[in-house]
Amino acid sequence: MNARQFLSGAFLLASLVLTAGCERFPGYPHPGSEAMRPDEVTDFSRLYSQNCSACHGADGQYGPAIALANPEYQAIVDDNTLRSVIANGEQGTLMPAFAQSAGGMLTDAQIDALVKGLRQRWARSGYLQGADVPPYKTDKQGDAAHGQQVFQAYCSRCHVTGTQPLNTGGKTKTSSITDGSYLALISDQSLRAIIIAGRPDLGHPDWRNAQPGHAMSDQEVTDLVAWMASQRQQTPGQPYPAQDETGRGKKL
Amino acid sequence: MSRLKEVYNWFERRLQLEGPIKEAALHPVPRNTASWWYVFGSAAMTLLMLQIATGILLAIIYVPSGGEAWKTLDQLNHQLYLGWFLRAMHGWGSNFMVAVVLIHMAQVFMFGAYKFPRELTWILGVFLLLMTLGMAFTGQVLRFDQDAYWGLGIGASIVSRVPLIGGPLVHLLLGGPIIAGATLSRFFALHVFVIPGLMLLFAGLHVWMVLKLGINEWPMPGRVVRRETYIQEYNEMAHKDGVPFVPDALWKDLFFSAGILVAVAVCALLFGPYGPGGQPDPTIIQTAPKPDFFFLWLFAVLSYLPPEMETPFVLIAPAIGILVLLALPFVAGVGEKSWHRRPVAVLVLITVAVSWGIFTHLGVHTPWSPVMDAWSGDPLPQKLVHSETALERQGAVVFQAKQCRNCHSVGGLGGQRGPALDDVATRLTEDQLIRQVLQGGGNMPAYGKNLSPPEVNALVRFLETLKPANRPAAVDASQEAQAQLGK
Repeated sequence: MNARQFLSGAFLLASLVLTAGCERFPGYPHPGSEAMRPDEVTDFSRLYSQNCSACHGADGQYGPAIALANPEYQAIVDDNTLRSVIANGEQGTLMPAFAQSAGGMLTDAQIDALVKGLRQRWARSGYLQGADVPPYKTDKQGDAAHGQQVFQAYCSRCHVTGTQPLNTGGKTKTSSITDGSYLALISDQSLRAIIIAGRPDLGHPDWRNAQPGHAMSDQEVTDLVAWMASQRQQTPGQPYPAQDETGRGKKL
Repeated sequence: MSRLKEVYNWFERRLQLEGPIKEAALHPVPRNTASWWYVFGSAAMTLLMLQIATGILLAIIYVPSGGEAWKTLDQLNHQLYLGWFLRAMHGWGSNFMVAVVLIHMAQVFMFGAYKFPRELTWILGVFLLLMTLGMAFTGQVLRFDQDAYWGLGIGASIVSRVPLIGGPLVHLLLGGPIIAGATLSRFFALHVFVIPGLMLLFAGLHVWMVLKLGINEWPMPGRVVRRETYIQEYNEMAHKDGVPFVPDALWKDLFFSAGILVAVAVCALLFGPYGPGGQPDPTIIQTAPKPDFFFLWLFAVLSYLPPEMETPFVLIAPAIGILVLLALPFVAGVGEKSWHRRPVAVLVLITVAVSWGIFTHLGVHTPWSPVMDAWSGDPLPQKLVHSETALERQGAVVFQAKQCRNCHSVGGLGGQRGPALDDVATRLTEDQLIRQVLQGGGNMPAYGKNLSPPEVNALVRFLETLKPANRPAAVDASQEAQAQLGK
């Protein structure tokens, strides 16, 4: 390469920069590429993927906590409840408080953006209208004894209690929904919500389909929750129960 | 005589620069110094000029105030035509300059060019290196973002450890007790006036001495430097087998410098400007600041040092390093120049280069910090959630909500401070998992006091599901014994 070629190459490069529009180069910083202040982010997708998706799933489903992309759930819960749960957490569960006022990292505007986004993305307007839906919250006292019958009628097809083993494809696990540890980590309200709304993503039916063709009534849901609550233990989660006479520890 | 010539003569009669410039340009240099190995010094000088030119243009826009700095950088990036390119050129120019100065220094060291009579040239060069690094650091501060803020915090904390006068020194450096507008003004003055002024002076003297003392000849084994005879030998070599500096030696310099400028421009176009990263606000804790690449090695070294070694290291090691560099031409000012006869020098250079490379690599790739939002942001793989029982699924919630994920990855997402847990159930039994969670160990904190028994129980049940389907769960000796008894 002689000097003339080199110079014309450099000239070409320079004129490319000046004329071809600098946005075309990969180094061009696109607007918004600078990191925003974290408390100024109000984009729902970003807020959701940073704060919610770990427990509630990437698209509001397939997370270990309740599915938010569930129209049944969205239909029974109101905006204020959503806002308050996000802001202050849910008593008796592992849902933490996200509002700055409660020790979290989100501003009120961000929480509003989350509530609005949840609704826009996953609520269906008019869904369940006219259906006999048990309300999200209730003040009624449940009847635990009747609740056990409700369990037998609606739930025992899939769920077990106590120490009965559950057969999961050749392998036996104890999957009791009255397990002391499980009940210690979930509130009555959460149990109620999940009984009504189900987990469609995991194939768990809602209140209408637990027993096909026969929806659960509000009273039945209340009684069922009351029965489950009555199964809570005083000191749950002890992996090694009291030793028996032989001195050998026995596991549950 | 043309009018142009008349004007020229009018100036020449008064300035009388023709003679010295001709002499400098045409002075003979040894033929073998017109080599591609001798182009780094002039490339460094070219980069200095580039930095000054781009720096002046940036200074027209940049406002060195705590409230404005970040905004003006944003403005340069997005609102001014080619402002981003200017910033990118200055940023990449700085990277190239540090690299070229280091290569130049390594080459001078390898070629024994610091030996008699070029001791002072080397010493000025050492100061020029320090000033280049000083420019890099102060420049990183002027890009007033989170990296700048925390980098400055580390700089101030290093300074604060100087015995007796640490406090006042920090005050002097920051212009007050905290990093604020006054700090930025100080660094602006340093970056724009003090250091570049000194650099130009030192670089001028450096080049002056190169011209006066001649370019170092190509080192040959057996050609030994002696104070008594060297100058005479050099002059003979330059005159007998010499070429004029212009154009025989200079064209390679020009060519290489042009190449470097093109490389800077290409990097600027491809990779763009540096940041600015997030705003420099210490209340924003969602950040994992890192220094620019030339200080990454220091970042890694400081991270690996045991705490009690930090102060001695940051205060004594740099002083020793600089003293060694300054003393070098006096300790080894004469003797062999060729690397064939200087095994210690070769080993020293290799050791320094390899250590620098390793620490920089560690600085880039070591997962120093937990991923602080993994617990709330990184979803679990679907299959893990799908097959769980109620308690195990609740354990997954504990795993996320108690922020285990910040240090332990699952399905490739999450922190890397602790081991990935995708197959933890093949390694630890239930009892071992409980013990590890409660008591910690192996760099993991104990969570016994932060988790309730149901939480531990649920968490361990979930962890027991973390294993590939085709591998057996971990079994310990007591379980094996029990199984034997059962048979």
